[in-house]
Amino acid sequence: MAASDITILCVDDEETPRTLRKLILQKQGYQVITAASGAEALEVLDRVSINLVLSDQMMPGMTGTELTKSVKAMRPTMPVILISGVNEIPADARYADRFVSKIGGPDLLFKTVAEVLEEYSRTALEG
Amino acid sequence: MNDNDQANILMVDDQPGKLMSYEVILKELGENLIQARSAREALDHLLRQDVAVVLMDVSMPEIDGFELADMMRQHPRFQKTAIIFISAVHLTDLDRIRGYRSGAVDYISVPVIPELLRAKVSVFAELHRKNRQLERLNRELEQRVAERTEQLHQSEHQFRTLANSIPQLAWMADAQGSIFWYNQRWYDFIGTSPGEMPTWGWRGVQHPDHADRVLQLLEKSRQACEPWEDTFPLLGEDGNYRWFLSRAVPIFDSQGSLVRWFGTSTDISTQISAEEQIRNLNGQLQERVAELEAIMKVLPVGVAVSHDPESSVVTANLALSQLLGVKPGENIATRIDVAVAGSLDLYRNGDRLASGDHPLKRTAKTGEQLGSLELEVRGPDGKPIFLQSSASPLFDQFGNVRGAVGAFINVTDRKHLEDLLRERADLLELATEAIIVRDMHGVLLFWNSGAEALYGWKREEVLGKSIHQVLKTRFPKGFSDVENALAQTGKWNGNLTQFTRDGHEMTVACRKALKADGNAVLEINRDISAQLNAEDALRKAERLAAMGRMAGIIAHEINNPLEAITNTFYLLRDHPSLDEEARYLAKLGDEELLRVSHITRQTLGFYRESEHSVEVSISAILDEILELQARQMEFSNIVLRKQFRSKGTIWGFPVELRQVFLNLIGNAVQAMPDGGTLSLRVFKSSRGCDRRAEVCVSVFDTGTGIDPEHAKHLFEPFFTTKETKGTGLGLWISRGIVQKYGGTIRFRNISLAGRNVTCFQVRLPESDFQGVIDPIVGSREVAEKAEASNGGF
Repeated sequence: MAASDITILCVDDEETPRTLRKLILQKQGYQVITAASGAEALEVLDRVSINLVLSDQMMPGMTGTELTKSVKAMRPTMPVILISGVNEIPADARYADRFVSKIGGPDLLFKTVAEVLEEYSRTALEG
Repeated sequence: MNDNDQANILMVDDQPGKLMSYEVILKELGENLIQARSAREALDHLLRQDVAVVLMDVSMPEIDGFELADMMRQHPRFQKTAIIFISAVHLTDLDRIRGYRSGAVDYISVPVIPELLRAKVSVFAELHRKNRQLERLNRELEQRVAERTEQLHQSEHQFRTLANSIPQLAWMADAQGSIFWYNQRWYDFIGTSPGEMPTWGWRGVQHPDHADRVLQLLEKSRQACEPWEDTFPLLGEDGNYRWFLSRAVPIFDSQGSLVRWFGTSTDISTQISAEEQIRNLNGQLQERVAELEAIMKVLPVGVAVSHDPESSVVTANLALSQLLGVKPGENIATRIDVAVAGSLDLYRNGDRLASGDHPLKRTAKTGEQLGSLELEVRGPDGKPIFLQSSASPLFDQFGNVRGAVGAFINVTDRKHLEDLLRERADLLELATEAIIVRDMHGVLLFWNSGAEALYGWKREEVLGKSIHQVLKTRFPKGFSDVENALAQTGKWNGNLTQFTRDGHEMTVACRKALKADGNAVLEINRDISAQLNAEDALRKAERLAAMGRMAGIIAHEINNPLEAITNTFYLLRDHPSLDEEARYLAKLGDEELLRVSHITRQTLGFYRESEHSVEVSISAILDEILELQARQMEFSNIVLRKQFRSKGTIWGFPVELRQVFLNLIGNAVQAMPDGGTLSLRVFKSSRGCDRRAEVCVSVFDTGTGIDPEHAKHLFEPFFTTKETKGTGLGLWISRGIVQKYGGTIRFRNISLAGRNVTCFQVRLPESDFQGVIDPIVGSREVAEKAEASNGGF
């Protein structure tokens, strides 16, 4: 699947980081929809066809891991990547497919996204 | 001549014929007939033999019968010899009377009538015989009397000898009481000589106090003719009075009349004084006995006396009686006889004593002295009483054992106290704290095993020495403060620095207390170095944790904008609107930003690129790092030595492992700016108490080395010896990572002949599972992740 066919839901409560993340993903060729909160993200998920959720961890209201749980509950086959500035991986991060540090840089992010999508497409193929 | 002897008949006649006829007539008498023809012949015969009868013819020539008879009568021997005159002539009565007067004479006239002659001759012969008998008997009698008298004399002599040899004074008095004989002793004692003796009663030598009484009694006895006895002193020659027991007995003859007195006086002075001594001794003895009884009564020690070797009679004093619950004076022999029911059992060291082993009984029997034994007896209320027992034998005058005395001290209280003290002492020994007692000059009096363990000094080595000398105590504020506090309140608590025997310094929590009598100080010390270290470590850990928390917060706060900025530069990088200069500036910004990222990555991120641990080859990582460092090493003239004995494969996270070894190798390279050797070793080892397999990685450099002063702080955060570069966090972070793997990181600095080798060694356990313990959660991850992805929530 081409990057252009992938829609990533980018969730972050802070606008600038959210926007910048969207921009670099778009530069990679992905389609990006943003949400400013976990609740909004879930609502978007309902309406729109999303291929991957990329969410910040530390968000008021609903943390990234909590969002992950809800997403996985709704869509078990939905890949979720959590990105965070925290320096320790939280316990329930394992519900997500990946936990990426923000200081890993854009390359790490791209690599991770690509890996996860690859995994999921393979799984989907295998049925 | 005996009774039946022939008598000699002398016939005197001048006519032989007449002689013949007389012989014929007298023959049948059976006597011995002697003829004599003349008076002279007759005399001759008379002289030669003992003639009973002379038959005499009156008319004879020369000397006639009467003349012969006169001659015979003049001779004393023949005065009584019988004469028979034979006369032819008629004799007048006057003649006959004359004849009769001259003794034993008879007349026969001629013609002689034979029967008459025979009769007269036989009468005279018989008479003669009888006379002779009589004489003989008389002689015998006289002899007997003489013998008797002699015997009597001898007896008397013997008596006197005896009387003189006996130790008593002896004397004899006549019936009137006049003493006529004293024995030698008397004279010896009184000092007089025979003849000088005082009168009856011995007035001169009587003691004035006794004289009257003595004489009174004596006179009474004498008059009554009864035996007398009295005791009184007599004056001796030496001028001293001696006591005599005097006796006198009356001696009676066969008619019962008193003939004499016989007396003795026995010197009883010694006896008297002996008696007096005995009286005194008795008096003293009684006093002693009374004393003894009083002592026995009052003695708090129980005393029992066995009065015979078989201990059939045993008495106890008041104290013992009370102890045993018996009446004082009661015979307690049965109470100590184990054969008797209800007797008191004695125990020694828990074993019941056999009857014979009861100390009192044993000593009474064998005479052996039994020293202090500790025995146990059940008192009347059943509670055990401990007695310190000993027994001494009693001997009779022959040296045979006749009994024993036993002493029993009730030491129950003392024993309890001893047990208590022993328990306490044991407790003191159990105490791991050092318990010390010293006197007011600091001289050590007590040093328990806790002190031995803590300070390393055995008690023999320190007792008697000064405490401050031994422990080299350093006081926080000074010794006088402590002393004052002690003096005022009797107590002081605080921390001190003290030194062990091998010079090891430690901090000690000390509690001092002044003993009640103020003569000694009790100290209880506890090594709190470990505690302090732990507290220190805890504080550090908390600080670190706080730092960690802060780091976490900062990380988040910084990482977010950092990501944004990174993204911005990323977008700017190839932005078409940028001219060359702008692009250049963006690039610079990007690079510096990378640096910031690098720093934050190091400091604010223990992040892991994934949750899975993977198989990592340490050797491979080292090779990668060496590649990166290759240029620098060449530049610094550093020689490389590799000794990879193993791939060093463990399960882990490559990035953080890389960070560790990059840090170590980087440090090593930086330590050798002017050249040196970098040695790397990788090998497997199994070590540790559980023999777990480890991968050991050693990094050696021959650089500047580590200053001992810095050594302590090497792994502390923000500690750096490098002036310009370095965050000071490298080793701290490395150690954190290594510890997460359950491993260790150590270093050693060896100086040899001016050259230095520094070695850092990392040991990482080979885990046999695919997980690494997460420090936050403390759980193993991967398997759970696998489950989660399969089963959903």
